Amino acid sequence: MKVSLNWIRRYVDLPDGLSTDQLSHDLTMRTVEVEGAVNPADGLSGVVLGIINDITPHPQADMLRVCLVDIGQGNPATIVCGGSNIHVGMKAAVAIPGAQVRWHGEGEPVTIKATKLRGVKSEGMICAAGELDLQDLFPAEDDHEVMDLEVFEGRPGDAIGPLLGFDDIILEIDNKSLTNRPDLWGHYGIARELSAIYHRPLKHLPDFRKPDALPRYPVEIENPQRCPRYAGLVYEGVNSAPSPWWLKLALWKAGIRPINALVDLTNFVMLDVGQPTHGFDKDHVQEKVIVRNARPGETLTLLDGQPLILAPEDLMICDATEPIALAGVMGGAKDSILADTTTMILEIANFEPIGIRRSASRFQIRTESAIRNEKGLDTQRVDQAIAVANALIKELFPQARLTAFNDNYPQKTQCPIIQVKLDWLVTRLGRSLSAEEAADILRPLGFAVTHGNDALQVSVPSWRATGDIDLPDDVLEEIARMVGYNHFSFIPPKVLLTGAVRQPDVRLARRLREYLALETGLQEVYTYPWVNRRFLEAAGLSPANCLALATPPSPDTAWLRPSLIPAMLESTVLNLRYFEDFRIFECAQVFTPGAARPSEEAETLPLQKRFLAAAFAGHDPALLFRQLKGVLQALPRAVMSEPLIFEQKDKPAWADPKAWLNILCGSEVIGSFGVISLKAARLSGIKRASVAAMELNVEGLLPLPSRSNIYHRLPLFPLVEQDFSVLLDEKTPWQAVADALEGSVRSIDFIEEYRGKQIPEGKKSVMFRVRFGSDTGTMTAEQIDEKMNSIIKKIKKLGGEVRN
Amino acid sequence: MRERLESLKREAVLRAGAAGTAEELLDIRHQYLGKKGAITLVLKELGRLDPEERRQTGMLANEVKDAISLALTHREEALVDEGSSIHGEIDLTLPGIPPASGALHPITQMCYDLNDAFLSLGFEVYQEDEITSELYAFDNLNFPPDHPARDTMDTYWLKGFEEDKGARRLCLRPHLTGGSVRYLKKHGAPARFVYPGPCYRNENTDARHERAFFQYEALIVEKGFPFASGQLMIRTILEKVFGRKVDTRMRAGFFPFVEPGFEIDMKCLVCGGEGCKVCKHVGWIEVMPGGTPHPNVLRAAGLDPEIWSGFYINVGLDRLVMMRYGVDDVRLFRGADLRFLGQFR
Repeated sequence: MKVSLNWIRRYVDLPDGLSTDQLSHDLTMRTVEVEGAVNPADGLSGVVLGIINDITPHPQADMLRVCLVDIGQGNPATIVCGGSNIHVGMKAAVAIPGAQVRWHGEGEPVTIKATKLRGVKSEGMICAAGELDLQDLFPAEDDHEVMDLEVFEGRPGDAIGPLLGFDDIILEIDNKSLTNRPDLWGHYGIARELSAIYHRPLKHLPDFRKPDALPRYPVEIENPQRCPRYAGLVYEGVNSAPSPWWLKLALWKAGIRPINALVDLTNFVMLDVGQPTHGFDKDHVQEKVIVRNARPGETLTLLDGQPLILAPEDLMICDATEPIALAGVMGGAKDSILADTTTMILEIANFEPIGIRRSASRFQIRTESAIRNEKGLDTQRVDQAIAVANALIKELFPQARLTAFNDNYPQKTQCPIIQVKLDWLVTRLGRSLSAEEAADILRPLGFAVTHGNDALQVSVPSWRATGDIDLPDDVLEEIARMVGYNHFSFIPPKVLLTGAVRQPDVRLARRLREYLALETGLQEVYTYPWVNRRFLEAAGLSPANCLALATPPSPDTAWLRPSLIPAMLESTVLNLRYFEDFRIFECAQVFTPGAARPSEEAETLPLQKRFLAAAFAGHDPALLFRQLKGVLQALPRAVMSEPLIFEQKDKPAWADPKAWLNILCGSEVIGSFGVISLKAARLSGIKRASVAAMELNVEGLLPLPSRSNIYHRLPLFPLVEQDFSVLLDEKTPWQAVADALEGSVRSIDFIEEYRGKQIPEGKKSVMFRVRFGSDTGTMTAEQIDEKMNSIIKKIKKLGGEVRN
Repeated sequence: MRERLESLKREAVLRAGAAGTAEELLDIRHQYLGKKGAITLVLKELGRLDPEERRQTGMLANEVKDAISLALTHREEALVDEGSSIHGEIDLTLPGIPPASGALHPITQMCYDLNDAFLSLGFEVYQEDEITSELYAFDNLNFPPDHPARDTMDTYWLKGFEEDKGARRLCLRPHLTGGSVRYLKKHGAPARFVYPGPCYRNENTDARHERAFFQYEALIVEKGFPFASGQLMIRTILEKVFGRKVDTRMRAGFFPFVEPGFEIDMKCLVCGGEGCKVCKHVGWIEVMPGGTPHPNVLRAAGLDPEIWSGFYINVGLDRLVMMRYGVDDVRLFRGADLRFLGQFR
C-alpha cells in the first residue's frame, strides 16, 4: 500500500526535522514494514516549465517544428518538437539536458542530451505526458500531444515537480504486514499509529449529522449475517466532471488512477479511512437496493467488462430486478457511475469478510475494495466514511443536495473489554511497568483504559475489534511493540540441569547419514515426496496403492512415495547425463495407506516410515553389488546398531533376478539391495550404465545403547599367514568355504575369484588368505604342515581342489 | 715411496669429498684402489725395498687404502642421503588424488550445525511425520476457520479427504509448528526442543519459491518465560549459521500461533546495513518469525496459558543456506544434481 505523508499531515503534525529514514524505521519497528520511501518530485528532476516564444517549420522534416522556448536561462532554448498541440505562448514541460524521460512513453528511461535532429540543434525536449509517466494525470487526446501546463502558475525555468505539487514522500508498505490490521488500510489508521509513536495529537475526521426529515431510500438486507450494515445516500446535482487537481494528485500518488469526481471521491474515502464505498447512478437503479445472495442463473457484467455467472453463495447488491454489483468486490457496468450521471446513490456498507474473499477468489478479482473488505472491517467505520464522503461532496459539488438516506444497521461490531493483570504483564514482558505507563501507551491507539494498581481494564476500539485484539496477550503485544522490541534488555533464560539429552534414534539417524556421506563417499540428495508415475512403475509399484494429492504439482506427480527407489532411479537418470560413476543416497519419509494414531484417537494418519535408499551407478553390476554390500556390512558398526543379516527372503520388484538380497535386523526384514533389473532400467531410461540400489527402513535398525566393540588380546606368538588358491564348483558359495574353516583358523579373508583360461567350465578359482597360530608357542614346521593338511581336507570335502 | 703414498691419499680423499655422483666415486675407487690403480702400482714396487722398509711402507699403504676407502664410503652415503627416491622428474603441479568422498546435503549440514549448538543448550531434537491433519496443521495453531492458508491453493491436501474437516482431513504439513503441539502433548512442559524438517506448500515455483522447503523450529516452554529471553535462540541460530555475531532486530509481526509475534531481521551481511540489492536497499533482511506461543496453541497442547509461556522461532534453512553460499536458485536444493551438491563437500 502506498501512503502519502502529505495526506498523513492532514491528521497528525509530525515532529519537526523527522527524517524519512527515521519515520520508516519507527513505523517498521512498531507497526508495519516500510519497504521504501520516494519523493515523486525526484522522478521529474531536470524537467522545467518552458514558454514557447516562437515556432518555425523544420527545414528537413514536415512532422517536426523548431521552437524557441523560454526556460528562464537568458537566451531561449532551441528545441525541435513534433507535438501536435504546440502553439506560441504555450506552457510546456521541458526536459533539459540531463533529465530522464521515457522515450515515446515506452522502454527504460533515457537521459536527454543536447543533440541535432535532422540537422537542427535541439537543446532539450518538450515532453508528452507518457514520456514522464504522467499519462494518468494528463490524458492525451492523441499520440502526438505534449503536456499543456496552462492552468499552473509558474515562471519559466521552475522545476515542474514542485510546481505540480509532487513534493511529498510516498511510503511503500508491505501488504503482508498489514494482513491482520484492517484499521491500517487507510491514511487515517496510519496517522493514528504515528500519533501514538510520536505522542502527537490525532486530528478529528469531519462530523456528519443526518439532516432531519429526509426521505428514506429503500434498502433491504435479506442476509444480515453477511451484511451487518448498509448505508445508502442519494445525492442530486452531481456530475462526472474531472476532479480538481489536488484530488487527482492525491489519488495518483497513492497509486489509483483518477477517473472523474464521483469515482474519485469514492476512492478518496477508501484511501482515507479504509472503508470501500461505491457509487451507483440512481437513474439506472430500479426502485431500491436489495442485498441478497445471487439466484440460480443470474449473471452480472462488471465495470471492467468481465461477465460473471453467479453462484448462490455470491452476495449481490441488487435493484428491484437484477444484480447491480458483486458486493464488496466490484460494481456492475450498467448501473455504476456513468458519464451522464447526475444523481448518485452512494453505498457505504459493511460485509462479512469470508464471503467476500470466497467470491473474489473464485472469480479471481483482486480489487482495492475486496482486499479491504476481506480483512474484516468494523461497522462503526461506516460513520467515518459517511462523514468524509459528505464533506468531500460538498466541497466538490457545492450545489449538490443529499435528498434521501437510509442506514440499515442490523448488527454492530462488538468491542471487548479485556482484564489485564499487571504482575502478569511485567513477568511476560521481562520489564517493569506501572499501570499508568501501560495506560499511557494504550490510549493514543484508541483503547479506553481504567486501572487500579494491579490490573487494567482495556476497552478495545471497534477498528481493532474484528478478530485482531481479544486476549490479554494481544494487549501485551500492543504495549511491547509501542515500547519497541529493541528496548527490552536480554535476560538469559535459567537452565535446570536435569540430565543430558539422550536420543539414541536421533543419534543413529545422524551417524547413518554421516557414515554414508563422509566415510563411504555417497552424496546425499533431497527429492520431492510426490513421485513421477514413470519411476513409480519402473520400481514395480502401482499408483493405485499409493496415497495421492488432491491438487498435485502436475498430473504426472500426483502420488506420494511409498518407497525411495523411484526417486533413486530418477536422480540416477538425471546424473547419468553428466557422470558415469557416482553414489547417492536419501533419507526421508515414505507413505503408505494404513492407520496410525500418534497423538489422539480422533486423528488417523497413514503409515509413515523413515527410509534410507542409495544408488550406485557404474559399469560392472557384480562389482557395484559388492561395493554396496560392503557399505551395508560396515553400516551397523558405524551407526551403533544391531548387526545386519543378508538373506534371500522376498525379491523386490525392481531387482535383477540373480543379484539381490534382503536386509534383516534381528529377525525382521527391514529392506533389500541388489542390482536394478533390466526392466526397471529400461522403464527408467537408464542406458549404457549399471545401477545397484538399496532401501531399508531406518526405524528397523535397532540402536545399541553404547558401543559394542570386543577386545581380543594380541597374539603372544607369531601367526602363520597362508594364501590358498582353490578350484571350486560354480555352485559352491564363498560362505561355504568360510563356514568350513570357521573355528579352525584365526582369520579367513577372501582375496579374489577368477574364471577364464585354465579354469574348466562350471568351475571357479577362489583365492583367500588364512591366519593361524598357537597360544603356547611359535608353531613348528610339523604343526604347520598338520594345520595345512587339515585345511586342505576341509576344502576337498567341499568338492574343492587346492591349486597351489 | 711413502711420500708418494701420503700425497696419493691426500689427493684421493680430496677428490672423494668433492665427487658429485656415484659414478665419479667408482672412477676414483678404480683410479686408486683398482687392479691398475695408483696405490696398487705403488705396492707392486714394494718388492724392491729392503725388508724393514717394505714392512713399514706396506703398513702405511694399507692405512692409505683404508683411509681412501672410508672417504669414498662416507661420500657414497652422503650422496645417497642427499638423493631422492623419485627416479626421474616429478610434476609438483599435478592435482592431488582426491579421497573417495561424498557429502551431506548443504541443508543437512546447516541443520546439524544448528542441532549441535542447541544440543549444547539442552535442547532435544524432535521429528514428526510429514503427513498431518488439519487439526494439527491449522486448528490447534489458532488459524481462523477460513484462513487463506487452508485453501487448496496453498496447502497440499490428500486426495480422498476433500470433504473431511479437522482431525480427518489430511495434508502434507505446510509448516512444522503443528508438531510442537504433538511434542508438548506427549512430553508435557517444561520443554525445550528443536524441530527440523521439510514442509510443503502449493506454490508456483521460480528461483526464489519452492513447493518443498526445509524449516527449523525451536521452542522453549517454561513458567513465566519473558520474551526478552527468546533472543538467546535467535543469537544461537544466526551466530551458528554465519559464524560470527550478527546484528538482529525484532519488530512487530503477525502470525496466528504467536502472541506477541515478531519478525526478526538481521543486518544485511553483503552491505553491512548500508543498503544494497540483496536487502532491497533496506539494510536488513527478514530471516524468521518468532514470538510467544499463542494461549490457544498452549491450550491445544493441554497446557494452562496462565502458567506456561515460552518462545518460538522458525527459520527457513533454504534461504539461510542460499545467503550463506550465494546460491541464486532455490530449486537446486531438491534437484539431486551432483554438479551442484558436489560443491558442498
